[in-house]
Amino acid sequence: MRHFLITLLLVLFMPSAQAELAVIAHIKNNIGVLSAKQVQDIFMGRTRNFPNGRFALPIDQSSPLRAEFYQKLTGRPVEQVNAYWARIMFTGQASPPQQLPDDEAVLQTVRENEGAIGYINQIRVDKTVRVLLLIN
Amino acid sequence: MKIIRLLTTMILLSGAVPALAEDSYPDFKVTGFGTLGASGTDTDRLAFRSDIKQTPGVTDSWGFDTDTRMGLQVDVDINESWHAMAQWIARNTAGDFLEQNLDWAFLRWRPADDLDIRVGRLGIDTFMLSEYRNVGYAYLWMRPPHEFYSGLPVYHFDGADIAKKFEIGEGVMTVKAFGGHSFTQVPTNLSGLAEQDLTLIGGKLAYEVGNWNARISYNYSLNNDEIAPLQPLLTALNSTEINAVWPGAQALAGKIATKNKVVHFSSIGLGYDDGIWLAQMEASYTHTDMTVYPSVASAYLSAGRRLGKVTLYSLFGISETLNNPVNVSNPLVPVPEIIELRNAADQLLNTNGVDEQSVSLGLRWDVHEHVALKTQWSHNWLGNNGASLWLPRGTGSTPDTVNVWSVGMDFMF
Repeated sequence: MRHFLITLLLVLFMPSAQAELAVIAHIKNNIGVLSAKQVQDIFMGRTRNFPNGRFALPIDQSSPLRAEFYQKLTGRPVEQVNAYWARIMFTGQASPPQQLPDDEAVLQTVRENEGAIGYINQIRVDKTVRVLLLIN
Repeated sequence: MKIIRLLTTMILLSGAVPALAEDSYPDFKVTGFGTLGASGTDTDRLAFRSDIKQTPGVTDSWGFDTDTRMGLQVDVDINESWHAMAQWIARNTAGDFLEQNLDWAFLRWRPADDLDIRVGRLGIDTFMLSEYRNVGYAYLWMRPPHEFYSGLPVYHFDGADIAKKFEIGEGVMTVKAFGGHSFTQVPTNLSGLAEQDLTLIGGKLAYEVGNWNARISYNYSLNNDEIAPLQPLLTALNSTEINAVWPGAQALAGKIATKNKVVHFSSIGLGYDDGIWLAQMEASYTHTDMTVYPSVASAYLSAGRRLGKVTLYSLFGISETLNNPVNVSNPLVPVPEIIELRNAADQLLNTNGVDEQSVSLGLRWDVHEHVALKTQWSHNWLGNNGASLWLPRGTGSTPDTVNVWSVGMDFMF
């Protein structure tokens, strides 16, 4: 019971566990590093290409990491990002990035697609992918 | 669905647009949005409505259909450059329920990352919100500012648009041009619907940088046909017999007629949003040659503050028609039928004004991912001959202040 209360207090008063996020791409994607603005432009649908002109396939998450990613990347709460996408989608301009359930699924997709760009908890990064940006 | 699949397969097989291997094309997606809303006022003499396509509106007995609606959208990525979309919305609207509620059905070609060309049925991009007035989840308020948006019955047109983006400084500029034809059915207090058959062209220039976005736009519309419910009155006013007894009749017919008359919409808008504070304003001037739809100037200013998942907002709106009253002469001989005709003409020309201001306070609470609850209180001031965005109930005088309360839930899926 005491354990439960402590957990509850932590959940209520701690901001969700702060992870360092890594924006990752296929190992063969040789574009070097990206700025936060460049990553933002890709994930917010403002561009469909990497700075080198290559087609970019952004991969989003449906996990709690999503809210953290957008808060850190754009300085805006995820509700606002959702409202932004509602406007873009329902006026026929673009579709939001496809969502995958967790880091493992994102890693798998990024390994398999040369154009993919995703984000995962930095501690999950391995040598099969390339890191484009660290966000904390 | 099968038909769409068949059509896309045919397009793909025709070889004009080869699919790339990286993604699986064609890619189908069904999404939607909706609002459940209830509104009520403190009067039974005047009915509130979200826009002039709606009847019967709500009074102090409350109602659901000013804001409740549901939209469904099908998107098809045919390949990297070609995309098709259709969107249909079930909502309270005058006229053909199937046809008038189809707001989008287009094919888009994106030959480059910054260039879009679309053909088909398209939303009308005259003002900041005019393409997505029904998507409550996408904006802050209970409904788009009443003074600014409710007098605009046109939601879509059939034609084409082209939009090009330019990177300028730190921001992005969008230049868009559109043109086509729109058919809009609007309820009237005469017998029958007004069917507006417009040829329109327009454009916008928008610039987004950091927390700011700004736009200016212009739209020219030519009304191609006479509005049918006016025809009996026009025929009478033009008749030789009536002009013999009432010499001013024919001149009034010229004022009332709507065929081949032009409407010019111009607007500017500015928005700010830093994640905590947000503000938006728009101002427009609509110049018309139609006396039955007089020239009008409108503006609104809104400011809000986010407190976690709750956003508090305030909104001030104003709309004023600018035409002078038309002097309707009296017949030489007071024949009752002609007096009746004179009064009908007088009513059409002189009771169509908008003189409305309102102050609103409201909140949006993002209770869940993709669900927002909203509530709004609006206090409206209506001047003499100024309530044509509303619907009168009964024949008595109408109030000059009205409170409107609303609660609603917006969602998307």
